[in-house]
Amino acid sequence: MTLSQVAQKDFEDAVRSRMVWGIIGVFVGFMGFVMLVALSATDGADALGDAALGLTAQLSQLFVPLVALVVGYMAVVGERRSGSLRVLLTYPHSRRDIVFGKLFGRSAVIAIALGVGSTLSLLVATMLVAAPDIGNTTGLIGSIVLFGVAFTGVAVGISASVGTRGRAMALAIGSLLVFLLVWDAAAAGVYAAVTGSLPGLEVEAWYFLLKRLSPVGAFRAIADGFVSGRLGSLFQVGLEQIPQGTTPEQRRLANRVPGALPFYLTNWFAGLTLVAWGVVPAVFGYVRFSQSDI
Amino acid sequence: MVAIRTRGLSKRYSGGLFGSDVTAVSDLDLTVERGEVYGFLGPNGAGKSTTIDMLLNYSYPTEGTVEIFGENIQENPEVIDRRVGVVPEGYGLYDRLSGRRNLEFAIEWQNASDDPAHLLARVGLDADDADRPVGDYSKGMTQRLALAMALVDDPDLLVLDEPSSGLDPNGIRRLRDIIREEASDGTTVFFSSHVLSQVEAVCDRVGILDDGELVAVDTVAGLRETAGASSTLTLTMENPPSPDVVRSDGVSAVDVRGKQLRVTCADARAKAEIIARLVERGHNPIDVGSEEASLSEIFGDYVRGGSAHDDGETATERNTPQQEVAT
Repeated sequence: MTLSQVAQKDFEDAVRSRMVWGIIGVFVGFMGFVMLVALSATDGADALGDAALGLTAQLSQLFVPLVALVVGYMAVVGERRSGSLRVLLTYPHSRRDIVFGKLFGRSAVIAIALGVGSTLSLLVATMLVAAPDIGNTTGLIGSIVLFGVAFTGVAVGISASVGTRGRAMALAIGSLLVFLLVWDAAAAGVYAAVTGSLPGLEVEAWYFLLKRLSPVGAFRAIADGFVSGRLGSLFQVGLEQIPQGTTPEQRRLANRVPGALPFYLTNWFAGLTLVAWGVVPAVFGYVRFSQSDI
Repeated sequence: MVAIRTRGLSKRYSGGLFGSDVTAVSDLDLTVERGEVYGFLGPNGAGKSTTIDMLLNYSYPTEGTVEIFGENIQENPEVIDRRVGVVPEGYGLYDRLSGRRNLEFAIEWQNASDDPAHLLARVGLDADDADRPVGDYSKGMTQRLALAMALVDDPDLLVLDEPSSGLDPNGIRRLRDIIREEASDGTTVFFSSHVLSQVEAVCDRVGILDDGELVAVDTVAGLRETAGASSTLTLTMENPPSPDVVRSDGVSAVDVRGKQLRVTCADARAKAEIIARLVERGHNPIDVGSEEASLSEIFGDYVRGGSAHDDGETATERNTPQQEVAT
């Protein structure tokens, strides 16, 4: 009961602070601008709609984590610093209600903002250039929302586990760098350490699992299915030694691993990974929060 | 029935790798009876807020237990939610929302049926102010609102950490009235202060905390007696009579300086009798002044371990209202 009260209040606050509207505005503006610039340089009118989808997915890798971390990193520690937590706790809210209420509230904010924002920006693309496939569009918007919820979990977890705004901010920026830059390189490093060589065109299946365990990797895996293989890593670290001149067909996941695709490389497993990122960091944050003096 | 009981309550902060540990509260055994008004007194940094934080589960003791209405709060934290109203130290309200909305949230959270207008009137926050956002409030107005929120659902125990800070004299008087009303209603009130006159005015009992330890617990009168504090009657007269005229049982010293007759009484009740006796014998005073030994000097004795209260120099600062203990 009180968990839903906390979630509802948090959501209302976010709406009142126009946070949702700000995110939607920035999302639409940013995406629209980049898309127009990029599309004007592309030719072949038939592929334009799908190119818009691909570009949206590509940019979401950076934009969605950024937005979710900004929206979530102060969720708990903000109330802790302002002292409103001390007031909340004297009413029948437990620390558990507060952390998970915040998680639900902020997740709803992010889900709605990203859902509306990405729908609007794709609508703009449809009107200006060409209509992408409706099924793929819906799928991509769904995966963007799920991706946003996963990073909200990371943000709320960070927020619950620290006592100062500075630490929350440092951890939020740190996690962004880790997931966007370090993770893939580390996966390649682990692969090199185990097998003796950097990953090439054909690799062991578990290498892809390593990459997909990060929320960014899991999102890339799911979204890739909706943009016909156009989705690459946002920052190419160049640690995979793939020969020049390989066709997109050769680079498909099923052709790079030996034998049948294991269950952990399916899309639903990547979906579960995102759900886990939405919950597990918040649970860790709660455990630390429940033991600390506020 | 006991409202608050702590046993061996201690809080130590680790000094880290190179620092030394700091003990904020040490082996505190505190008992607050049901229905009493208990003043928790001590200089800043004595450990009052640390203790209150542990009473409310904001922070956890290194050792010891806290029971509220007989329930161990670490096992049953709900007892705080249900029965305790709090104005904590360093609290914050929702700045963007109006005072009334903040209060309505408190009522809704507590699942209570209080009338916001009634609570606002009790703490003296008028309707116009209640509709403004809390971010625009002065410290005193915020404090009144926080008190209104603590009174939601008629708590059995009211815990107030420095409730008078930021209040004007009017607000302080109202706070005192509210504390008295609540107490007569059977509510236990536990409040901390470093402003002595407030503790003195409303408390049934006072506990003095110094450097994390409870150095004295007694009634205000009892503390006064223990410390041997006395009260002084100063009579200004055209022709002061011989000191022998006023000497009696309750009088410990008589001193004549020019037109002033200073009578030090061990028992404050002796004063009226002295005046009556003087008037009866035709020595009409031009002016009568009376000084009560305040808690301030008694307090000074306990926290500094000295006995500086008996010399003439401290007498001038004895009854300064609102006097604060050195920090």
